[in-house]
Order: sequence, then C-alpha cells, then structure tokens
Amino acid sequence: MANIKLDIFRFDEAVDSVPHRDIVAVDVPETMTVLDALETAKAEVDGSISFRRSCRSAICGSCSMNINGVTGLACKTPCNTVMDEQGVIQVDPMPNFQPMRDLVVHMDPFWDKYTRLKPYLQPADKDEDHQTERRVSPEDMKKLVDVANCVMCATCYALCPVVSVDPSFAGPAAIAYAYRFIEDVRDSKREERLAQINEDYLWLCAHCYACSYCPKHVDPNDRIVDVKRATIKDRVMMNERGPRHALIVNKTVKQTGMLAETEVIQGTVGRFNFRGLLKVAPLGLRMAAKGKLPPPFVKPIPKVDEVRTIFDSLEVPVS
Amino acid sequence: MINHDVVVIGGGLAGMRAAVEAAERGADVAIVSKMHPVRSHSGAAQGGINAALGNREEDTPQNHAFDTAKGSDYLGDQDAIEAMCEDAPRQIIWLEHRGCIFSRLPDGRIAQRPFGGAGAPRTCYSADVTGLVILHTLWEQLERFNVKVYEEYFCTALCVEDGVGTGVVAYNMRNGELELINAKATIFATGGAGRMYAKTTNGYASTADGQAIAFRAGIPMMDMEFVQFHPTSLKENGVLLSEAARGEGAYLLNSAGERFMFKYAPNKGELASRDVVSRAEWTEILEGRGIDGCVLLDLRHLGREKILERLPQIRELALDATGKDAIDSPIPILPGMHYTMGGIETDIWGATRVPGVYAAGEVASPSVHGANRLGGNSLLETIVFGARSAKHACDYIKNVGSVKPSERTLKQEQDRIANWMGKSSGTRAPQLRAAMNKVMSDNVFIFRNEEQLQSAVDQLLEIRKQFDENVYVMDKSKTFNTDLVNTMETDYLIDSAMCVANGALARKESRGAQARTDYPERDDEKWMIHTLAWREQGKNPRLDYSRKVTITKWQPTVRTY
Ligand SMILES: Cc1cc2nc3c(=O)[nH]c(=O)nc-3n(C[C@H](O)[C@H](O)[C@H](O)COP(=O)(O)OP(=O)(O)OC[C@H]3O[C@@H](n4cnc5c(N)ncnc54)[C@H](O)[C@@H]3O)c2cc1C
Ligand code: SF4
Ligand code: SF4
Ligand code: FES
Repeated sequence: MANIKLDIFRFDEAVDSVPHRDIVAVDVPETMTVLDALETAKAEVDGSISFRRSCRSAICGSCSMNINGVTGLACKTPCNTVMDEQGVIQVDPMPNFQPMRDLVVHMDPFWDKYTRLKPYLQPADKDEDHQTERRVSPEDMKKLVDVANCVMCATCYALCPVVSVDPSFAGPAAIAYAYRFIEDVRDSKREERLAQINEDYLWLCAHCYACSYCPKHVDPNDRIVDVKRATIKDRVMMNERGPRHALIVNKTVKQTGMLAETEVIQGTVGRFNFRGLLKVAPLGLRMAAKGKLPPPFVKPIPKVDEVRTIFDSLEVPVS
Repeated sequence: MINHDVVVIGGGLAGMRAAVEAAERGADVAIVSKMHPVRSHSGAAQGGINAALGNREEDTPQNHAFDTAKGSDYLGDQDAIEAMCEDAPRQIIWLEHRGCIFSRLPDGRIAQRPFGGAGAPRTCYSADVTGLVILHTLWEQLERFNVKVYEEYFCTALCVEDGVGTGVVAYNMRNGELELINAKATIFATGGAGRMYAKTTNGYASTADGQAIAFRAGIPMMDMEFVQFHPTSLKENGVLLSEAARGEGAYLLNSAGERFMFKYAPNKGELASRDVVSRAEWTEILEGRGIDGCVLLDLRHLGREKILERLPQIRELALDATGKDAIDSPIPILPGMHYTMGGIETDIWGATRVPGVYAAGEVASPSVHGANRLGGNSLLETIVFGARSAKHACDYIKNVGSVKPSERTLKQEQDRIANWMGKSSGTRAPQLRAAMNKVMSDNVFIFRNEEQLQSAVDQLLEIRKQFDENVYVMDKSKTFNTDLVNTMETDYLIDSAMCVANGALARKESRGAQARTDYPERDDEKWMIHTLAWREQGKNPRLDYSRKVTITKWQPTVRTY
C-alpha cells in the first residue's frame, strides 16, 4: 500500500475563469493504475473530480491525460512508475485541447480531422459483384492490422509540437488512419486520399518522433513516412514544397555527402519562383550579415562514394 | 426538443449496426450515446465473431445453430437461434465489404479459429482486436451516412404514451440539461451489466442502464439469473484474457501442474463451453488445488512467434497487470463476471412488448444464448439483431403519424435529478454500489444455494431502499458531472441485480450458468420456461413464467463436452 497524492488540475468551463489545483490523497496498492487511483479518490474523497474512462484496459482510448507532464493512458500507467518519493502524481488534461472540466477536454477538433479524410472504404466495384469476401492476402491485411490497433486516444495528437503551433495540421492519428485506407487494396481512392492528406499539411510533420510514444504501438511517425513516400511514389501534388524539399535534400546529400543549403532553398521554393525566392531573401541577407550564408555551391566530400553506397542500399526507388 | 424517426440508444456494435441499417433504408436516424461510439465496450472484444463460412472446414449454419442450442443448455429459443446463424455469413460479408480488417487465410479468404463449444473452427477474427476493428468499420459507416450522434448524452428514461414508445429523455453531459428526444421508434443497445459484480471483465460503463430503463417503463426482463462467468480473467483487475488463447491451444493448469480440464470434459478439455470450464476451475480452487485463489493459463508452448502474431494484446494486458510475460510464464487467472445472457425481452426481430421499442445486443434477450453463451456468438448477436431490429423499426414507422412528446417523463426525470442534486448529505452512490457488488460476488456467484440467494435478495432490497431514501450527488456542477452519471448508473445496476438474484432464487434447477448446489440437476419437466421479471416499485420484481422455450429441431439431451 502507498499513500498516493494526486495533484489534480481543476476547472469548470461554465463557472471558472482560471483553473486551480487540488491535492487528493488515497491509500491504494502502489501497482494500481493512475486511473483506478483517480476512481478511488472520486469514490472515497471527492465526487466532483471529473475524467473520462470506460474500458480500464487500454482499448477504448478514453483516459488519455497528462501524467507528470507527459501524455498517456491513465489506465496503462501504474502509480509506482510515476510517483515521486512523497507519492505525488500530477494529473492534467491533455495539451493541444481546450479544457472542459477537470481532466476532460473538448475532443471535437480531433474528430474533425478524421471526418475530413472521408474515413470509410470506397471500393471501385459494388457489393453485389461479390457473393463472398473480397480476397486479400494475409500480408496485405497485416499492414492494416498494425494501424487498426489505434484506439483514437489522441495521446499522439496531444504530444505533437506541430499541432500546438498549427491546429490545421492533420496530426499523427489521422495520418495513420489515412494510411489504413491508402494501403488497403480494396479501396479505389488512393490518389484522392493522398491529395487530401497533402492538403491537410502532411508535410508539416517535423519527424520529431514525439508521437512514437503511442501506447498501442501504432507508431504514427513511421506511418507518416510511409504516406510521404506514397505521395512521392504516386507523384501526387509534386509541385508542393513538401515533396520538393524532401527530394532536393535527398539529391544534394547523395551528390555531395553534405546538405547543399542554397540549392535546397532554391529547390524547395522553386528555382524560377522569383516571388517565393524574394520572400526568403531577407532571411538570406540577415544570414549574410552574420557571416552564416551557406556557400552557393558545395563540393562533394572526399569519400562521397561511400555515402552513395549507403543511399543505394537503403533507397526505396522514388522517382 | 429533438425529433427523429428512429433513435438508437447506444453506440456500440449493436447500436451502430442498427443505425447504419436504418440509414441505408433512408430513415432519419440518430444515436444517443453516453460515450463517443468508438469508446464503447464492444471494442474490448478480443476473440472473434462466429459465422459458418466454412473457410477452414466444412460447416453449415445448421451446425452452428445446433452448437448454440446445445451451448444454451436448451434454454435458447431455437427460432431466434436459427435466424441468427442463418444471417451470420451474410453479415460477416457485409462487414468485409465495408472494409473490416479480418485476418486472412493464405488464399485470401477470412481466417477462422476454433472456439469453445463449437463443432468446427468458425470464429472469424482480427488477431486479438476483433471488436475494435468491427467497431471502427461501423463508425466509418456512420461517417459515411452522416448519422447524427448525440455524443455524451446519457439516456435516463424511456417515454411511453398510450402504450406506445415515443422516445427518450437524455441528459446532456456537457451542459447538464435534460432533453426530450421524440422518436417513432426507439432501439436500446446499451450493452452489458458487468458492474453489478466486484470482479468483472466489463469496463466501467457496463452498467445495465438500458435494462433498468426499459424495466421501469413496464417492459419485462428475461432470464436475468443467467450470468456468464468467464474462465480466464485476471485476478488483479478482472481484465479478460480472451478465449482465443485456449482456441490457439493454451492449457489450464492447477497447483500440481495438471491439465485438469480433461477430468471435467474428457473430449473438449480446455475448449468445453464456458460454464463448464468456470465451474471446473472453481472446483479446483475450492478443493485446494489452486494457487493464491487462482489457476494458471499457460501459453508458453505456443511459442513467442505465435503469441506475438495472434495474441499480442492478451500478452500485453497480462504484462501490464501482473508483470508476467506470457511468453515465458504462466498467468494466474480465475473466473470473472463476463456477460448477461438475459436482458430486455424481445422477439426474433428485437421488438419488445411495447410497440415502437426495440432492443439489440447484450442489453437484449431474444434468447439466443439461453442459459449459457458460446464465445463469439455475442458479437454476432449485436450485428444480426442490430440490423434486424432496425429493419423492423423502419417498417413499423411507416404507419406512425406523429408521436406525442412525453412532457411528463421529462418532468419526472427533472425531479429525480433535482432531488439528488438538492441534497447536501446522505449516502453516496459509490458506497451503495460497493455494498451491492459484495452481495452479488459473495452470494450470486458460480455455485448458488437457497440460503445465500435468499440473503442476497433481502440485502439488495435493503440497498434499494437506502438508495431511494438517502442517496445524494456530491458534485453540483452542470459541466460533465460524472458523479451524477455514476449515481444514475448505480440506480440502474441495483434494479438489474435484483432481477438476477430473484430469478436465481426462484429457479430451482441447475442449467447452463446457473449451478444450484441444492438442485444440481437440470429439470426439463418443469424448467423449459423463461423467467420474466416485471417491476414493482420499491419491491422485489414480480416473476412470471408464461413464456415457454421455443424448440424447432433439437430436443434437450444430456449435455457433455
Ligand atoms: C473483455 C470482453 C471481451 C469480449 N470478447 C468477445 C468475443 O471475442 N466475442 C464475442 O462474441 N463477444 C465478446 N464479448 C462480448 C461482447 O463484446 C459484448 O457483448 C458486445 O460487444 C456488446 O455490444 P453492445 O453493442 O451490445 O454494447 P456496448 O458495446 O457495450 O455498447 C453500449 C453502448 O451503449 C451506450 N450506453 C450505455 N448506457 C447508455 C445510456 N444510459 N445512455 C446513452 N448511451 C448509453 C454506451 O455509450 C455504448 O456506446 C466480450 C466482452 C468483453 C467484456
Ligand atoms: S496512434 Fe496511438 S497515440 Fe495516436 S490516437 Fe492512435 S493509439 Fe492513440
Ligand atoms: S513526428 Fe510529426 S506528427 Fe509525430 S509528433 Fe512529431 S511532428 Fe507531430
Ligand atoms: S479507460 Fe479505456 S483506454 Fe483507458
């Protein structure tokens, strides 16, 4: 048994202009999950503590919250893995969401990201054409099963730094869900889906890997890489900056063994996009003033062959 | 005031399947759900869903129906069972066509695994996340048809005017307002009632709401004494390790390391039906061959690869709760409350005795499971009867002009809540819930007898009284007041628990999940009848045995595995 002190964010959007905190202590086994500790606190001490939960077995996605500053499922987090020496555990609502009541947030923006995907199968043929199931190989299904483990808990969305600065970014969970349809051999809208996810700022993902903290091992970050690859492979919206940036970085590193920054800027913005280039000019001038302007041309490093060998052995042919 | 043709209460598999069916038929349909649909407990279903596709071995819907009738210990209504098993392959194909991610055989057809009590491998699955993938597929169809979802609306009462269902009253959890939702047809799909017991595989939200709401509106509960205890739940938190584990070949061991199941079920061993396995485990434990009140589920011989490919979630759930890795260590397990075979009485179309009111899924009892449910048949029931009830409802509403808004039900619910909210002292719901849990777990468990059941009935009546007189809600907020919601849920659970205990006491025989040590035999002479429980305000329910079991093909015989 341990005396756990839950340090809880308290807020009621109907009456409070600012949140406050309450510390509620409960005696529970230290291996108990944070969720069950909250449940005990609510049952035994303060009935007004509010949070979402349903399955208590990491499958419904309800109980995502910040635990000591890191988002995760409260029902998958034992107290003894997060409490400090005094038994204190801080619990807060997920970031990147508007708080509603205590640990409960407004989820609508998160669901809207899914709706934009048209998240349902759109096969080319009709049901009536098939008396039985459509045949799909175990391998093709397996790809989808891993993503299907997503419980839509929004942990990844709450952790994503890009969402926090630009809420129009689709976010990791929705991109992973888009992948589920893009890679489904039964679906006929691959191109439209790729275009849609590109419009929803696919390329804003900074590959910071914060979302790899997914409690269900969906690894949305890796699915984002897959979707970007598919975008380039299918040559969808190739005139956007995102894919151009990826390709030019790839090209200069392969050619020179280094990042040829001037070329990357030109390649990303567009060599003949004078207006776009003018926009980045002030940045260039400021860099020049500090003596940090990259050289216009980069000479290949001495052992560039070795770099190219690495590229050749890793490279998924893209263009 | 909100108006729709059809309103579905609940966004689990049964509710969403009903809503999609109604939408495909062009009805103006909406879902009222206390959680976002993808949060529903159906998502926790791991093992699979039955249909006689015959993809691995020759199989027919008739074989499936026979296994189900036998599994039900012959209490299931065979017309309903046949309807379900005939529909099953069509419904699986329907789901597959909408993108459901089923595991596949090498030739690309849907894979099937063996499950307890089944004569052929007929359980379709997706690794061990079957419920989740079907839940997602149906939610996708809601998105496709733009079905209106009243999310985080808690249904509190059913409206019946002039003997006809006219919709529901629901509490909007986001702003604390009660709203009248008028509908020509109402379909209850609110799921199970596991939380009447202390140890259950059910999540926090399985609280018998729909059952008690219908009960209070004058609709009888059927066969509530039949509660399924799942043989493999974790001691720590009741979390389920799916039957898929045994389907894939896991062993059950006692303290001597013996595979004891063959003593109880010489042919099927670990794959006997659930009531048989749970009783065997409990007997081993009672006779001193348990380990810390548990027996062991051993997966080690399946090997790392198979465990990781087919049972990854099970491994992780066990690891999280016990710290033991099933790959190299047996997992202590024991039977836990899992499923309510009984529920709102319906016919084979999901229709109740009140026109315009339907029920489908775990909340309902069209009596396909009888005295014991087979694994994989409950997901099937949600899909089949979700679709069937919506089909019937869509036909029914064609002849309904308009409905009379039940202002009096709204007023009644406002008063009920105001009473709890107005008090600042008394008894809180969690205390009464804990008392009820203890009564049920101690006295209405796997083995039952007169003395204990009588004491359960008496104690529950006392808890009912205390609740009605003393309960109050501590949280006074109008925003996401889960204290109020929990109180409401406890209110409903007590009603359902009373039906279970009273039904069990009155049924003087052992059948399926009901094992009476004082009446150890099945009594087909007297008890091939259903238990109907009717509400009596503030008293024990009135029991009525006017509904006989429907037999189409299979006369009761001795049930062995
Ligand atoms: C851990 C576990 C594993 C299982 N595995 C299997 C399996 O492998 N195969 C199988 O066949 N069966 C399995 N079962 C059984 C099966 O999953 C359930 O019986 C079935 O999913 C119930 O579905 P449902 O749609 O009836 O209810 P649920 O999925 O529980 O949905 C209930 C819905 O009703 C809503 N609701 C409830 N009360 C209210 C209210 N008052 N107001 C508004 N909305 C309300 C909820 O929000 C929810 O959306 C399993 C059960 C458990 C617990
Ligand atoms: S990808 Fe992972 S973290 Fe993100 S919503 Fe899905 S389960 Fe949660
Ligand atoms: S990897 Fe991309 S999507 Fe994931 S958290 Fe980082 S920026 Fe967000
Ligand atoms: S309660 Fe379902 S994921 Fe935590």
